[in-house]
Amino acid sequence: MVLRVRITKGEEARFISHLGFMRAFERAIRRAEIPVAYSEGYHPLPKFSFATALGVGISSEAEYVDIQIDPDGPKISVEEAFDALDRNMPPGIAVVAACWYLGKPALASLIEYASYRASGCGALHEAAEEFMAMDASLGTITTKSGEKEEDIRKLVYSISMADDESLEFICACGGRAHLRPDNLLVHLSSIAGVECDVKRSRIHRTGLFVVEDGELVSPMDYKCKDLVIAKGWMPRELS
Amino acid sequence: MIDKKVLYEEILPSVSQPARYVGNELNSVRRSPKEVEASILLAFPDVYEVGMSYIGFKILYEIVNNIPEFVAERAFAPWPDMEAQMRLREIPLYGLETYEPAKSFDVIGFTLQYELTYTNVLAMLELAGVPLEADARHEGDPIVIAGGPCASNPEPMAAFFDLLVIGDGEEAIVDLMSEVARAKREGAKRADIVNRLAVIDGVYCPRLKNPVSRRVVTDLDEAEFPRKFVVPFLEAVHDRVALEVMRGCTRGCRFCQAGMIYRPVRERGLDNLCSLAKDLVKSTGYDEISLLSLSSADYTQVEELSRKLVQEYADKGVAVSLPSLRVDSFSLELAKELEKSRRTGLTFAPEAGTQRMRDVINKGVTEEDLMSAAADAFESGWDLIKLYFMIGLPYEEDEDLDGIADLSRRVLELGRNMAGKRNKAGRVRVNVSVSSFVPKPHTPFQWHAQNSREELMRKQNYLKERMRVRGLTVSFHNVEASFLEAAFARGGRELAPAIARAAALGCRFDGWSDQFRPDLWAQAFKDVGIDPSAWANKSYAYDEPLPWDHIDMGVSKRFLVREAERAARAELTPDCRTGACAACGACADGVKTRLAGEAWR
Ligand code: SF4
Repeated sequence: MVLRVRITKGEEARFISHLGFMRAFERAIRRAEIPVAYSEGYHPLPKFSFATALGVGISSEAEYVDIQIDPDGPKISVEEAFDALDRNMPPGIAVVAACWYLGKPALASLIEYASYRASGCGALHEAAEEFMAMDASLGTITTKSGEKEEDIRKLVYSISMADDESLEFICACGGRAHLRPDNLLVHLSSIAGVECDVKRSRIHRTGLFVVEDGELVSPMDYKCKDLVIAKGWMPRELS
Repeated sequence: MIDKKVLYEEILPSVSQPARYVGNELNSVRRSPKEVEASILLAFPDVYEVGMSYIGFKILYEIVNNIPEFVAERAFAPWPDMEAQMRLREIPLYGLETYEPAKSFDVIGFTLQYELTYTNVLAMLELAGVPLEADARHEGDPIVIAGGPCASNPEPMAAFFDLLVIGDGEEAIVDLMSEVARAKREGAKRADIVNRLAVIDGVYCPRLKNPVSRRVVTDLDEAEFPRKFVVPFLEAVHDRVALEVMRGCTRGCRFCQAGMIYRPVRERGLDNLCSLAKDLVKSTGYDEISLLSLSSADYTQVEELSRKLVQEYADKGVAVSLPSLRVDSFSLELAKELEKSRRTGLTFAPEAGTQRMRDVINKGVTEEDLMSAAADAFESGWDLIKLYFMIGLPYEEDEDLDGIADLSRRVLELGRNMAGKRNKAGRVRVNVSVSSFVPKPHTPFQWHAQNSREELMRKQNYLKERMRVRGLTVSFHNVEASFLEAAFARGGRELAPAIARAAALGCRFDGWSDQFRPDLWAQAFKDVGIDPSAWANKSYAYDEPLPWDHIDMGVSKRFLVREAERAARAELTPDCRTGACAACGACADGVKTRLAGEAWR
């Protein structure tokens, strides 16, 4: 069985590196005594995997983790696992939803898009409209192997102006195609001809998406069952 | 509170490892310093990942915060990029828990773990906005105290502290905090509070230069030990459940300060340790338990304890490790069980290359011990062995250096021969780490001069030439850094202006090879007209007064002289755990030593 959880990375936790975030999660699993499956070998490791990494400084309400449950361990319901995990998360990290994942493919290979909200971007609104109207727009993106030139337009699914100061956008995320949100902001700044100190515009990840029948759906709406949602919590990317 | 918006939006996005400065970790305690009777900012003058690795620091944090009327927060030395940002944007040093400025605490308490953190202490005080010199502090300034092993010679840093705590801190810190609370209730002035604290047992007041006997925890099994640790988001240097199984060491290595000032050995009980392990694993979620002490393999019930822990935690993905394996008490069975060490290689510390030299330093290890332990290790599949040696020891000759090279080569050959049978000879590696002897107060070698820097360089080169062998990697400690360490370890009050000057010139993190600036230090000494070699390279006579004579760390001077004389004759002194009592003076009345088996003496 695979338990899929959605967790947040709040204001105080946003400066934690991805490695630190994973370690914090691993320790929470242990404290919560989730009957997780362990790898074989000298130093058995709990089997869990994150959907995708999140850059240092970016907060999020949509980090997904799949936890492999030990089939021979004690039985546990989604609700029990949700409560135990949430109680044992360090400050700044909360569990907002959990469910069973029934599909085969690994979480990381499913994710194709991510949505973000960037505040302090009022000066980029016009450039964003202009950019969306283009067929292609060449710019610099950061990849694992360094910087390279790429058509950024084809990596962006949508951009909207939420209010005077922020931008909401959905862009490619995952192994097939990936755009870092700060790369987009820098690119829009260069179109607008303004200096943009990207580190200062606060970026917040609002969602990750799987593509099913041409539609963007939440990983929790994809081959999942027994969804449990935190009381009073509403996924923002659906609102 | 400091300006959190500036911190989060302007500063943190632009510094390396921002998580160092955020706090908010699991098990950290938030209690407003303003709402308690007495508050202390526990300050560690090194970077977060280092400070968070020290068990003494965790113990104090837990003890203070277990008392609801008190609070302890933490502060670490900001890395230079962060320090620059803090100065630029006028953010003072702050407590990681509530972001309250350091100045708002009643007490700032520094841990002096090693000498090369002294400039960081001054940088932190300056960032706190607290006058550096104790004499210049006024009403409203926090009381600045310090403790830790370097407090055993407080003089070089004495000018900067109102008070120092000598010896074990567990009980002393509660006495201090209680007295601060009481004095505050009575409306006492700052100067009065300092005076009232100065008369507490084990407290040294540099202004009064009062003779002081160290505090000692008589029953370690009864002493408080944390049942939860703050769990860092960053990877600390030692990021695991650390169980202090005992304090002190009876081996009696003559160069080792820890082995002298933490005497006598006091053990924690097995059941206590198992219960602590259980609570700590539960409260932290760590995947490793490490048995901590100066020489954990000497712990009376080490095998039983490790077996129990391995049994309990193996299938829960929690490993058990023993950090300080020694050649002579090396038990292969144990090492095999504690598989963690396999990932990192095995470490042996023969310290010296010839039998004569090992007898001089009272390292009761023979070459056969080392070779058979190494053979065992290679036999069971380890292919990396680390060897620790020291050069510049008293009575050292060049043939002792030859001994280091020979021994290292022989271990390598042994490994190759054994691995050769499995066609893996090429994989075998021996890493040799060579440090320079630093004479330390309260040790039998405290009277000895450190070799001059030229002599140490010559010895390093001598060794380098003799150890150019494939498979053998040799690394040396920086001679200038060891030299400074010796000056501060054995110096007096005269050194304070040099430390202040170096800090003003920008010296920071002197123990970090990439940050250490010997050029700036040379200039600092020149500016204030002090020659550090007058301290580092000076031999004291037995009857000459020492700068630390007024600090009693338990072991008597008579014993130290006796040991120094035996060293001159290369005579061994038996381990008092198994052999006769050497009458070092540390077993004061009522101290409980060994818990299981026979009583101590
Ligand atoms: S007084 Fe004797 S038994 Fe106690 S630590 Fe010293 S040498 Fe060992």
